[in-house]
Amino acid sequence: MDPITLASVVLASLLLFLLASGVWVAISLLIVGMVLMGLFTTAPMGSLIASTMWDASWGWALTSLPLFIWMGEILFRSNLSSDMFQGLAPWVSRLPGRLLHVNVLGCGLMAAVAGSSAVTCATVGRMSVPELTRRNYPLNLTIGTLAGSGTLGLLIPPSIIMIVYGVTAEQSIGRLFIAGVLPGLVLIGLYMGYTAIWSLLNPDKMPPAEPKVGFVEKIISSRRLIPVALLIAAVIGSIYGGIATPTEAATIGVIGALILSALSGGLSWAVFMQGLMSAVRVSCMISFIIACAACLTIAVAFVDIPRTLATWVDSLGLSSYALLAVLALFMLILGCFLEGISIIVLTSSVMLPMVQTAGIDLVWFGIFIVIMIEAAQITPPVGFNLFVLQSITGKDILTITMAAAPYFLLLIALIVLITVFPQIVLILPEMMRN
Amino acid sequence: MLRVVLERIYLYSGYVAAMFLVGIAVSIVAQIAGRMQGVTVDATEVAGLCLAASTFFGLAHTFRSGSHVRIRLLLDRLPWSSRRPIEILNCILAAGAVCYLAWNMILFAFQSFEFNDVSPGLLAIPFWIPQAGVAAGITLLAVAVIDELVWIAWGGRPRTDDADEIDLENPPA
Repeated sequence: MDPITLASVVLASLLLFLLASGVWVAISLLIVGMVLMGLFTTAPMGSLIASTMWDASWGWALTSLPLFIWMGEILFRSNLSSDMFQGLAPWVSRLPGRLLHVNVLGCGLMAAVAGSSAVTCATVGRMSVPELTRRNYPLNLTIGTLAGSGTLGLLIPPSIIMIVYGVTAEQSIGRLFIAGVLPGLVLIGLYMGYTAIWSLLNPDKMPPAEPKVGFVEKIISSRRLIPVALLIAAVIGSIYGGIATPTEAATIGVIGALILSALSGGLSWAVFMQGLMSAVRVSCMISFIIACAACLTIAVAFVDIPRTLATWVDSLGLSSYALLAVLALFMLILGCFLEGISIIVLTSSVMLPMVQTAGIDLVWFGIFIVIMIEAAQITPPVGFNLFVLQSITGKDILTITMAAAPYFLLLIALIVLITVFPQIVLILPEMMRN
Repeated sequence: MLRVVLERIYLYSGYVAAMFLVGIAVSIVAQIAGRMQGVTVDATEVAGLCLAASTFFGLAHTFRSGSHVRIRLLLDRLPWSSRRPIEILNCILAAGAVCYLAWNMILFAFQSFEFNDVSPGLLAIPFWIPQAGVAAGITLLAVAVIDELVWIAWGGRPRTDDADEIDLENPPA
């Protein structure tokens, strides 16, 4: 066996072993990196690891990460959740599927101010699950719409996952953010369409219609959504318009979120500290994974695994569709056991040269990975949105998984759509550049 | 006594991390304000260094709160008698890797000090200062991992279990 093959086998089996036995993800990446470097290269390991980790931890691009996390944590603890329900409910009460659309649209709105799917799902679900259950909406759709649309948090900017991808794949975070907007809207359309069709086919399972609400009353009841709308416009608009870098937009977002939360009366010193400390822990966990993944990346690059793999895949002469199908399958399997950040850093360190050799645009591929990770959020046994819904509804994981299944298939439909029509992803970033 | 001191150290290093996180936002506010006044304030370096400080000072606190992700799919299904040796092995592996990393980060900071490395931007901050912070943070993490190892080896249950559960007050990313 030649050394590169042997190194790849060691990489895969050691990583699998460490992760499965419950070693912390970041530390597993670090150990595998050190073992590869120690066994298969003559590089000065200690100093190389120290300098790599240092270089990976103070980059400008990464500074937006803790700020967007903090912004989400502040809004999660504000009264936004109830404002969202009251503000959206009157607008959708005449659509087939009625208040179920509050879940989809609420998650869409929340996704545009928070960067994570669990925060999005929990913020909307906390208010809407009790309300919808009280009105006798079918539980499987209440859970399904939430599980599915909660994942919008990853696709609609700001997005923590996209920052991690942008940093590890060296792509512009601003362009990735903007590339996610249109697929996000398409996904909202798919979710709402499915929900509407299901309720037309099953009218007996739907609760009776709500009383009709006049236009003026609708406007009045949604006035509390205006601050959120302004916040979204400020954050996404300033990135798209090229006025602000993602980090500056994130800072504006944090300040806006603090003002919004203070105005609605939900901000105390204790709440402020809870949000801040939670943001510290989440961003520390993610940045440390990125720093350790950088060590693994440098190790596999020294052993020459990614380039060899790229050459090998290239020699197979697969079409880029076939390659993407294989990658998608691989990521789905990974997604059953790993959370999103780990999937991104693992695929980035080994697979990007291969994807690049196949002539696939790396911004497009970023969105592709993000959608695959959205699917991973709702596949058992490890799917964070399933866990969040489990704790909100108190139902068992099987019920929740079954309810989420149609929305999982819609995510796969979106993958097919953006593969056949890559313009859905690329048109906005192209316009932004000109 | 030692227990109390260690818990304090983890918590306070978490607060230091929080200060640096706020520091990122403050330095960027300064940059935006400066631009409006027509003064060039480059926050790139300061924000980046605050980020590194926040990450590494937060390590021990994050570890102690059980927020560093790991896969407990198998562990949770094992009876404690067979889970315990695995937990001990995990802590030994982690402690070894983190101690090695801490030692090399300390050497790295010393080298920057000797060679007078400075940051590439306008401020030209001597690199050894933030690197010493990074080394300190990793050393604290090593202490926390060894603390956990001793705890489990002496018969304690892993103290990071509950925090892993999806807590609505502290949702994961």
